[in-house]
Amino acid sequence: MAGVPATLSIAPMRPSPALTGALLAGLLVLAGATTAAKAAPITPTRDDEVIEVLPATSASRNEDRQLRKRLAERPDDAALAAAVAQRYLEQARESGDPRFAGLALAALRAWPDPARAPSDVLFLRATLEQYLHEFDASVAHLRILLARPGSVRNAQAWLTLATVLRVQGRYAESDAACGDVGRAGADIYSRACLAENAALRGETAAARRSFQALLADARLAPSTRSWLLTSLAELEERDGRAAAADAAFRAALRLDSDTYTAIAYADFLIAQKRPAEALAVLKDEPRTDTVLLRLAIAGQKANAASRERDVAEMRDRIALANERPEARIFHGREQAMFALAIEGDAAHALELARGDVARQREPLDLLVLAQAARASGSRDAIEEARQLKATLGLHDRRIDALL
Amino acid sequence: MRCSESVGVLAKAARVALGLVFLLVAGVASAHKASDSYLQIAAAPGRLEVRWDIALRDLDVALDLDSDADDKLTWGEVRAAWPRIETYAMQRLTIEGCPLTATGRGLERRNDGAYAVLQLASSCTLPATPRITYGLFAEVDPTHRGIAKVQRPGQAMVLSVLEPTAARPGAAAAVSGAGVGAETAANGAALPGRGASRWEFFGEGVRHIVTGYDHVLFLLCLLLPSVLRRTPVARQPVARLSQAVWPVAGIVTAFTVAHSITLGLAALKIVSLTPAFIEPAIAVTIVLAALDNVVPFFPVRRVVVAFFFGLIHGFGFASVLAELNLPRADFVWALLQFNLGIEAGQLVIVAVVTTVLFALRRWPAYARVVIGGGSTVAIVIGTLWFIERTANVSILPF
Repeated sequence: MAGVPATLSIAPMRPSPALTGALLAGLLVLAGATTAAKAAPITPTRDDEVIEVLPATSASRNEDRQLRKRLAERPDDAALAAAVAQRYLEQARESGDPRFAGLALAALRAWPDPARAPSDVLFLRATLEQYLHEFDASVAHLRILLARPGSVRNAQAWLTLATVLRVQGRYAESDAACGDVGRAGADIYSRACLAENAALRGETAAARRSFQALLADARLAPSTRSWLLTSLAELEERDGRAAAADAAFRAALRLDSDTYTAIAYADFLIAQKRPAEALAVLKDEPRTDTVLLRLAIAGQKANAASRERDVAEMRDRIALANERPEARIFHGREQAMFALAIEGDAAHALELARGDVARQREPLDLLVLAQAARASGSRDAIEEARQLKATLGLHDRRIDALL
Repeated sequence: MRCSESVGVLAKAARVALGLVFLLVAGVASAHKASDSYLQIAAAPGRLEVRWDIALRDLDVALDLDSDADDKLTWGEVRAAWPRIETYAMQRLTIEGCPLTATGRGLERRNDGAYAVLQLASSCTLPATPRITYGLFAEVDPTHRGIAKVQRPGQAMVLSVLEPTAARPGAAAAVSGAGVGAETAANGAALPGRGASRWEFFGEGVRHIVTGYDHVLFLLCLLLPSVLRRTPVARQPVARLSQAVWPVAGIVTAFTVAHSITLGLAALKIVSLTPAFIEPAIAVTIVLAALDNVVPFFPVRRVVVAFFFGLIHGFGFASVLAELNLPRADFVWALLQFNLGIEAGQLVIVAVVTTVLFALRRWPAYARVVIGGGSTVAIVIGTLWFIERTANVSILPF
């Protein structure tokens, strides 16, 4: 490629010649200043200079490409499409990188009509929608799937439905789906699912007993045990029993250190005014947005050396994500937490938190709403948070303390 | 984010129980936003420049840039792939009425990775509501979006989010005001049905003359002296309206016939002139017509001037028409509508202006203030337009 200069210069967009240079330069400076996200030109000097490191794939890149190629040749091969989508979904979960969810959806694009999609394909689609926070679509697609003959035995689909409904704050409907998990033959998951809902509603003692009974089974896989311990820790945290929560979080992390538990424990530690420990818990986690947000908040509170870098990076990521307007909705919770803890902008945090609870109603979403309402001093907002909590029937002493 | 990650935990546990395979991967990814490309579109009269930033990691999925599959993109690999990148991307972006050519290339580091920068340009005037067809990564990632910022001189930046639509004829995202309009079947596609939009190009014609300030200003210049008669000593107000109406009718008819001729010739692709010539030439017609009001120098009657200059304005209408993408099937019908729309709009303007001027004609300062002052303003505006259109700068806010 002879025509390419060895050194690239990236000039900003520049309508033509010298006559108009000065005026345009002024306009461009203005235009440049309004570009939210940071960007800097790269000027490689050698051919072997590495410009970008691609995210690792679960298998080798060649294998990855071969799968994609085979799918391109046979896009309506349902088994192949589901396998490809499943791989990308795993990668999205492991890395916290939503681009993989997009790739996974693309693998399923031969079946735009859910009514005609094979069950595997439909289940993956609903799971991806859940990952992308499109909860209504996810529920709708799971219901179509679960209405099919034979789906009675699909424990995983019922469990996913129960989870999405819980995230939306629809506890009663979630209970029903938890029951179906049991009818599908996954008894442990059914009982844990019901206990989780019971704990959210404040049936704390019964829920605690259920979790403890499940944990008494010595044959449990470590990851399952860890999951149950995390649920128990969150129950104790909401019920205001810090010591019990701390012990359960630690036990869960010892068994299986997953990012979700690390983040939940970090939030707990930050709330307990132990930010330095929160930083330690997160130090080996991949720097997903959710992890980085906690690093920034804990770093700020602990006055850690890393705080400036983490805060600046989080701010940049938010700015970049917000170039797509819907990001404000998708990342409403995280952006509200950042606005509140780092920027000290209660009014903005409240706006974001309100947008967030419109679609997502986990305890943390309501907690952030309550914190923003309290910080902004708005009686209406406090009343709004109280109402929403009452409507859901959520039991959470952390929120009670704020309202 | 509990909801996604909790599902991870839950699903992980469920997989163990249900016997599904669980792949553990150490994720070292740094990017945690969805895939976006960034389009900065700068529109000036007769010139469009597009800077398009596309993430290399997204391009790798579509084009396998990493030729040695070592998970590292070197400058050599990117450089070698650049023609494929350009071809792939440019096939997936069309801005109606603005055929794009690549004018430059570069690389940019954003906080979610390295981006290829494509610089594209077109010598066209971006329509008020441009239709942008965007299909980048449609087959690779349906959650991908193009973030377009359209900047016109002297106007606020307009942001739109372009959703990739798989390449199929007629699919286009309309870029307008606050964001992406609904996907529209091309305007023309609705026309053969002769339904509600049967007269849609009539409306476009009206809109174009009413908001086409240059054509209106030119007409005004021709009309300013029409309520005065030239006598051997001085200009005298006409006595009756009919004395003004006939010269006005003559001028307007000549202008109309002339621009209809060139509009037709250009629309039927029999004659074509570049907007780079026509747009400044229209500005010149305004300056000359205004100058003649102050110091008469046209060697022929104004009817003849209106005719010749009307030929130039017709080409100006034609470039708008090209952007409207008239339906092939009903081309003549659409063209007729557009022209009738122009004439109708023009008639209304002429009627209003003539009435006002007629009412003012006996004012002693009419010649000095209305003709002299009005023409001077027209000369200044016309001159500035000429500069804008030849030098590609923006001076006037309209």
